[in-house]
Amino acid sequence: MLKKRLIPKFLLRDGRLVKYVRFFENERMAGNPVTTAKVYNDYGVDELIVLDIVPSEASRARVVDVIERMSEEIFMPFTVGGGVRTPDDVAALLRAGADKVSVNSQAVRRPQFVREAARIFGDQCMTVSIDYRKVGPRHCNVFIDGGRERVPLDPVEWALRCQDLHCGEILLGSIDRDGTMDGYDLDMIHLLAGRLGVPLIVSGGCGSLQHAIDALESGASAVAISSMFLFTDHSPIKLRSHLASRGLNVRAGVGSRN
Amino acid sequence: MPSNMLHVAIVDYGINNIRSVRNAVEYCGFDPVISQDRAAIEDASHVILPGVGAFGDAMAKLRARGLDDVLERVVREKGKPFLAVCLGMQLLARASEEHADDGEPHRGLGWLDADIRRIRPNDPELKIPHMGWNTVSKMREHPALAAIRPGNLAFYFVHSFSMHCNDERDVVGCAQYGQSITAIVARDHIVATQFHPEKSQDSGIELLGNFLRWNP
Repeated sequence: MLKKRLIPKFLLRDGRLVKYVRFFENERMAGNPVTTAKVYNDYGVDELIVLDIVPSEASRARVVDVIERMSEEIFMPFTVGGGVRTPDDVAALLRAGADKVSVNSQAVRRPQFVREAARIFGDQCMTVSIDYRKVGPRHCNVFIDGGRERVPLDPVEWALRCQDLHCGEILLGSIDRDGTMDGYDLDMIHLLAGRLGVPLIVSGGCGSLQHAIDALESGASAVAISSMFLFTDHSPIKLRSHLASRGLNVRAGVGSRN
Repeated sequence: MPSNMLHVAIVDYGINNIRSVRNAVEYCGFDPVISQDRAAIEDASHVILPGVGAFGDAMAKLRARGLDDVLERVVREKGKPFLAVCLGMQLLARASEEHADDGEPHRGLGWLDADIRRIRPNDPELKIPHMGWNTVSKMREHPALAAIRPGNLAFYFVHSFSMHCNDERDVVGCAQYGQSITAIVARDHIVATQFHPEKSQDSGIELLGNFLRWNP
């Protein structure tokens, strides 16, 4: 059967790997993305997500360069995003070596873009990334433009709408939990995974092996992990063997290339 | 080995992300050429048909470039070793119901007695696309799988339609996803995978290397 996926998430600023808490606080440099990707490749992670968090024309060129270099030696799926607005943007990232392209703000501003791009490049190429935060006791809103702009959309309703627009999967990120390592937003994962027909990748809050188990058992198809892999001694190998020992269906026998 | 001296043709029919196929062939120590040129494909030692996107669109692009005829001649008549990947594998079927809204299925190359149908899992926990790593069970041995340990037979899939073969002898490997998913098919010098070997890390690179060293 299909395995649950472990996906390191890279945030790039000017082509360099960075990490924050709750999107804006406590910036930390996290190394060279290509070198780090090679290490993760040796660990046998299942995919990589690479997001340009301050997109510009200049940073796009750097991201393309990073993806081209990664795809020369790393043979696993890459999802790449940040500032994607047009079919030409999608084509440029796919040509660089991306397999899937993540769209966030532009999907909100012009939902038909998702449908158009899916028709040209295939549904499986289009990942819609949704960032949200709590705005009331039982109420969440979607935020775009790297978490700067609040829009009056409920993340669950918006995800279901994106599915109707033919996205191939949803990357759901909790801004409140980003970088905190306090655990995923399990209520939200449970709610959305139960209604969504496309795969759900969840992001924001993973700080322990148990957090990943909780998210996957709540219905996520994949866990995106950033801080825990970058800043703790929980490597993908350790996470994978822990998940396997707890009966989760993950790839076994990888990450020991000898 | 003479096969090492010649280039490997990756058929270019206007789809976008075939760089990783080229990179993987290079990584295996062979010389890839991305081309839609008849001569370049005819002169190759091995031919690879990659594929992403929609079935009808891909067939239209192949035909618009005359590549269906080129492949017919190079693969079917001259018998060059041939690997088709993902949508490329599906194009070997007679027809696909993908986006066949008018009720008329899209016709494929028809090299295999097979049809392409939408994956329809009964279990709501099984999401579509079938996306991620899945284990492949061997139905029979094939040189493309030589020396890959059974524990490493997991590959990266991403698709919403799958192949149904009428001739079971064509099926080399299957994956399970609420139903049996045809993962590898082969006949004579032709082999095809529903998954992406170029995205399947060591197992995929081994399979690709096996194919590139194969001289049936």
